[in-house]
Amino acid sequence: MTPAPRPPAAPPDPPGAPRQPGMLHVRFRTVDGTPVSAGCFEQLLGLLAQFTPVIEALPPDAALADVRGALRYFDRDATGLAELVRLRALAWHGVRCTIGIGANPLLARMAAQGAAPGEIRAVPEGAPAVAAFLDRRPVSALHGVGPATARALCAYGLDSVGRIAAAPPATLQRILGARTGRIVYERARGIDPTPVTPNAAARSMGAEHRFGHDELDPARRRRALLSLADGLGARMRASGQAARALTLTVRYADRSTTTRTRRLDGPTAHGPALTEAAYALHAALGLQRARVRSVALRAEDLCRAERAARQLTFDPSDDKAHRIEAAVDRARARFGTASVRPAATLGQASRTGRPPPPPGARPLGPGANRP
Amino acid sequence: MPGFTHLHTASGFSLRYGASHPERLAERAAERGMDALALTDRDGLSGAVRFAKAAAEAGIRPLFGSELAVAERASAPTPTARRRTPVRGGAFLDESAARAVFLAREGAAGWAALCRLVSAAHAGQGEQPVLPWSALEAATDGLTVLLGPDSEVGRALAAGRPDRAARLLGPWRELYGEALRLEVVDHGRPGSGPGSPRLAARTLGFAVDQGLRAVLTNAVRYADPGQGPVADVLDSARRLVPVDRHRPEARDSGERWLKDGATMSHTAERIAEAAGFRRGLAHRLLAMTEETAGECLVDPQDDIGLGRIHFPEPRLVGAGHRTAARVLRSRCAAGMVLRGYDHDRERWARLHDELRTIERLGYPSYFLTVAQVVDDIREMGIRVAARGSGAGSLVNHLLGIAHADPVEHGLLMERFLSERRAALPDIDIDVESARRLEVYRAIFDRFGAERVATVSMPETYRVRHAVRDVGAALGMDPAQVDRLAKAFPHIRARDARAALAELPELRGVREAGGEQLWPLVEALDALPRGIAMHPCGVLLSDATLLDRTPVVPTSGEGFAMSQFDKDDVEEMGLLKLDVLGVRMQSAMAHAVAEIGRATGRRIDLDDPAQVPPGDPATYDLIRSTETLGCFQIESPGQRDLVGRLQPATFHDLVVDISLFRPGPVAADMVRPFIEARHGRKAIRYPHPDLEEPLRETYGVVVFHEQIIELLRIMTGCGRDEGDEKRRALSHPELQGRVRAWFAQRAERRGYAPEVIARTWEIVEAFGSYGFCKAHAVAFAVPTYQSAWLKAHHPAAFYAGLLTHDPGMYPKRLLLADARRRGVPVLPLDVNRSAVAHRIELVSGGASRGDGPGDSAVWGLRLALSDVHGMSEAEAQRIEAGQPYHSLPDLWQRARPGRPVAERLARVGALDAFGANRRDLLLYLAELHHRGRQAPGGQLALPGRALDGADAEPVDPVEPAGLPDLSEVERLSAELGVLGMDASRHLMADHREFLAELGALPARLLRDARHGETVLVAGAKAATQTPPIRSGRRVIFTTLDDSTGLVDCAFFDDSHEACAHTIFHSWLLLVRGTVQRRGPRSLSVVGAAAWNLAELAELRREGGLEAVAARLAEVPDAGAAEAGAGSAEADAPSAEPGQGAGQGSDKEPGTDREPEPAAAPGRTIRLTTGYELHPWADLQPPGERAATGRKLWHSSPGSAG
Repeated sequence: MTPAPRPPAAPPDPPGAPRQPGMLHVRFRTVDGTPVSAGCFEQLLGLLAQFTPVIEALPPDAALADVRGALRYFDRDATGLAELVRLRALAWHGVRCTIGIGANPLLARMAAQGAAPGEIRAVPEGAPAVAAFLDRRPVSALHGVGPATARALCAYGLDSVGRIAAAPPATLQRILGARTGRIVYERARGIDPTPVTPNAAARSMGAEHRFGHDELDPARRRRALLSLADGLGARMRASGQAARALTLTVRYADRSTTTRTRRLDGPTAHGPALTEAAYALHAALGLQRARVRSVALRAEDLCRAERAARQLTFDPSDDKAHRIEAAVDRARARFGTASVRPAATLGQASRTGRPPPPPGARPLGPGANRP
Repeated sequence: MPGFTHLHTASGFSLRYGASHPERLAERAAERGMDALALTDRDGLSGAVRFAKAAAEAGIRPLFGSELAVAERASAPTPTARRRTPVRGGAFLDESAARAVFLAREGAAGWAALCRLVSAAHAGQGEQPVLPWSALEAATDGLTVLLGPDSEVGRALAAGRPDRAARLLGPWRELYGEALRLEVVDHGRPGSGPGSPRLAARTLGFAVDQGLRAVLTNAVRYADPGQGPVADVLDSARRLVPVDRHRPEARDSGERWLKDGATMSHTAERIAEAAGFRRGLAHRLLAMTEETAGECLVDPQDDIGLGRIHFPEPRLVGAGHRTAARVLRSRCAAGMVLRGYDHDRERWARLHDELRTIERLGYPSYFLTVAQVVDDIREMGIRVAARGSGAGSLVNHLLGIAHADPVEHGLLMERFLSERRAALPDIDIDVESARRLEVYRAIFDRFGAERVATVSMPETYRVRHAVRDVGAALGMDPAQVDRLAKAFPHIRARDARAALAELPELRGVREAGGEQLWPLVEALDALPRGIAMHPCGVLLSDATLLDRTPVVPTSGEGFAMSQFDKDDVEEMGLLKLDVLGVRMQSAMAHAVAEIGRATGRRIDLDDPAQVPPGDPATYDLIRSTETLGCFQIESPGQRDLVGRLQPATFHDLVVDISLFRPGPVAADMVRPFIEARHGRKAIRYPHPDLEEPLRETYGVVVFHEQIIELLRIMTGCGRDEGDEKRRALSHPELQGRVRAWFAQRAERRGYAPEVIARTWEIVEAFGSYGFCKAHAVAFAVPTYQSAWLKAHHPAAFYAGLLTHDPGMYPKRLLLADARRRGVPVLPLDVNRSAVAHRIELVSGGASRGDGPGDSAVWGLRLALSDVHGMSEAEAQRIEAGQPYHSLPDLWQRARPGRPVAERLARVGALDAFGANRRDLLLYLAELHHRGRQAPGGQLALPGRALDGADAEPVDPVEPAGLPDLSEVERLSAELGVLGMDASRHLMADHREFLAELGALPARLLRDARHGETVLVAGAKAATQTPPIRSGRRVIFTTLDDSTGLVDCAFFDDSHEACAHTIFHSWLLLVRGTVQRRGPRSLSVVGAAAWNLAELAELRREGGLEAVAARLAEVPDAGAAEAGAGSAEADAPSAEPGQGAGQGSDKEPGTDREPEPAAAPGRTIRLTTGYELHPWADLQPPGERAATGRKLWHSSPGSAG
């Protein structure tokens, strides 16, 4: 949220010249409305790179581009450039772009939000125009205002951006705390000093497992978590990333959810470590009668895998696990992801051995005396 | 083939376990050639009485027992590994306790031991009833014990530990010796768990080794094969988890039905074979089972005490030295003198008659008991009144039980009690509902815990609960299950599919439910799903009560509650006193208390000097039909009837209440009565002799008492015999006999045949309907009193109503009525509002009282207790700490919870501390955070001047510059927080739109012509589908706009198009035709209905164009004309919904439920020849009534 202390990527405008809006927020959609594939998205980013090097990818289907440095070269204003982008995306990839243009990422993003599919919408320069643009928008449209903040603001009647901008900043800080209050106040006035950070990596990665029915069996939920954690680990290793935290979201039959986050000991993409964390999160919920409909894991706070350190131990099994994992990754790379899987996630028919105890004998609660 | 007796059978009274009713089990046992059957319900004996009756009917011998959970002897050290509390969904139900079956053996002693065991099991603290071992040691006589697969012994055997089983068996043998049996069960399950042949064989072998007797049972849970899935649903509903789809082995085996003897002997052979014995042992097993069954002899008549009466000991009711009869005589004589009747020969004669009857029946101590209870209640300062036929007895009047003088009102003792009446007399007393539990406690104190118990009331599955539980068991989407359940009217579960096929508003519901759902829903029909305390019954007995009924503590108050319901209790001859909590009595008590508090005037409503009978202002009010909130005459149908009847005397009120019953309406007694009353039709009597009893009701039979007199005059029989014949009229099979008797006797007395025929017609049409006049008189007293209060002390009256909410209408409607009647509604204010609603002087005030004659105007101050989520303690703290001079002052001294404080701020109760409610909210949040950061820290110094003289707020909250609540948001907050639109009427917001539509306000509707087409709109206040004479289903709904009420009726031709809209929306726009039947009787026959909220939303978003598009969608059926034509014939005036808010009616005519035809026939023929629609008389679908909270959409801008 805070501006990074680095010089803006675009060359500063000559003093005295009117600042031109030069931020593009581009959202890609295929012509028939389906989301773009990951490969296609890469290519579309390449297309944007023909105009400016300052591109922040917002996966899975959007990007932020700072074109201020390109305006003179192309001798067009930002809207003209956006038209070119739209034209080329359609011609090259059959992808429709919705583009918002603003003086900063916030305004560009909000302009794109309000635009119809395939439309280019620009927020004109100048405080009155910006204020008029923002005035009637709901609070939640402001980037960085999540549901909790929006709820807090709405509770005090600050349900539109215009009302926030009109409220005394001190009051906002009383409601939201000093830092958030200041940021929200600035954003409500269209001020957003965040630069476009080229090539910012995806900051989280998630996966979900849905059950076809109410699932009360903890063993089955753990099995689902195991396969999710394993898959997440593989994806992170494939993209050279490591997670610092893991979030578990459990969704129930009544569509409510419980979310818990746990910080990992250090950045890691190691399957067993993720699985252990997922199990711990799950066990901490202590669910018994809850009707679980899905579990989702999200690896949070990703960083480059190079920055992950590993605590060495004298226990060879840890080392072995890492080596096996490397081998598994190679096998998967070669034969497909389904070629190697944790044994527990292979079909349910594999549950062999002693048949489970009959219903009455199975203790259901604490203090059961197991015969 | 030797017979077989099932010794282990669970019926539906094993809550959420057994799948068949006891009646069904008894029936099946007889069909399958058994001559005895045991009922051993889990944790209780609730089904025992029904079972005994059903067994007698089916011709089998009943055995009684119970399956109880038994605690371990030495409480094992509790496992330290405590399971984590689940963040969601709750913990599993702990059903791990071992169980054993106890059968009563030696007659009354066995039954008593069984009752005491069940009571002991429920006396524990745990969530589940568990029998402590100590209780077992205390009661060993008269019981046979079966240890089956679910017992400790059985579990040890299942685990392959015969050594442990032998050790566990020791203490049982010590206690029960010869009466101990091992129970062998084989359901053909795999493995070695319960129900497996392996365990059965092991158990049999173990019994042989130990030299113990074994019995064969089938651990029955349902009567017929194929009910396994129902048992699964019940298991799931009990354990609150869905049916486990991964482990089919955990589900019911499908074998646990009431198998016949041949099948069971085959099972016995298989088990013996598996255990490695010869066939002989199988025969021995069966023989031992029969032998055990033969020992368990308990006779329902002699041992359980069916049909015998036990009154409290006479010494407890003031008859220590003399007999109860003499005490009663002297008390009655004293009553005669006290009331100044001592020179009245007629009354003395009647008194002696009554006393003679009472003594001959042996009931003197019963009357003394009731008198004692009433005296105790009165001493506590609680309003008390008798209702029901008991009001017809002079003895009751003299003892102070009944207010109204039976001689003056012409009430008959014989309707209440006679030597020909077998049933126990029934005296019901009404008390203030708010203090009902105090009354119970007083009765417990007076007679002692060993003689008193409350009566239970099984809550049975009806369609909505059945849909919910089956849906949850099948793991359906909760939101969808909720929708499905709410779509239904409150009908029986077994009619689910018939209703789906027939009711227009249920289209599409069947498909949404899926294949599996509906058969299971119907299978749950009428099974008990819980047991609650009956709202009014109290058992009184001698000290042996606990030997005859098992008691369980009630959940909230911890009263001892008998496991038997009110019918069982009557069968068992236990004296039941009905103490009904009547909220109107509480409301009137509150109103009187408020008048006393505010003006110092003490009013006694029962004093004729203060509340004169025949008060013109009161009758003017009643005749104006603005009787909202008045006891018994506030429902739409009653208002209509009152408008046509125009009551002018107390007797008119009595008649009005009596006429307003399904019976009289079905028997078409209303119209002739009204026409005769207003002189439009000559009064006709079948014979001049009958003029005397029929004169008071213009020749129409209204009361039971009139039928009795009619029979007496025509046949010369006694009144007691007349009452007997009257009751026989309600049984079709007896009617013919009565008719022959009547014709013969009347002819002998010289009446002409045509007179006899005409009179019989009346008698027959009357059937069992009509109303007991004594009951009506008892009802009319509070009716008049409440109307008097409304006429003379409106503010206090509304304060009482809103505090105790007695009516059928939501509170907001009462508030709207108050506003219409010119009572200022004062907003909630923390410095002025109290826990309950109060009255406050608004202007004038030199004089005392708030009557219309005074210049003083009294306003209604809203109560803190109406704030959503406000606890009793919080409200009391706030009231105790008044006045407050600032927000922090309130926060520190009254310590309201943050949500409650915020709600107070939003409805303006804190406006004294700052004008902007949102600023107040922010300030509250900061106070909350500050308090959390420094818990228990130093309190701020009280900034109030020590003398506290100035109530002026010293420091209002500094403005924070937040936008204040808009008008719409304020109204929304009021509806959300108080459930009432307190500052203005919610329809006010739609006024502009309604003007555009040209909708007619309720006030202007009075001037509309008959037959005119109008558009009306309002908030839905009540919806009913009462039984109607023509046998059609008519939906009556009352709409409330700011100017008054509009009653609408929808006939079945319009249901297709609008039934769903009416049931499921809160704001309605209705097109219909005006229907007039009298100067004050007016309703709108609806042809089309729209959801007004939806239309208003469309208008806001898309303008009138969108509204027009929406209106164009509705298929215009042109039903208005058709409906108007047929409305003439149907008086929309009968619904028994009145009873719901004001206690139960006990007359046979009113709690009759129409029998929906098994085949989807369109109507039901009643015994009287009238037809009823199968789905009438039911609580309609949707939610009950629109409380304010439902009436408003929450706009994105409003908080919360």
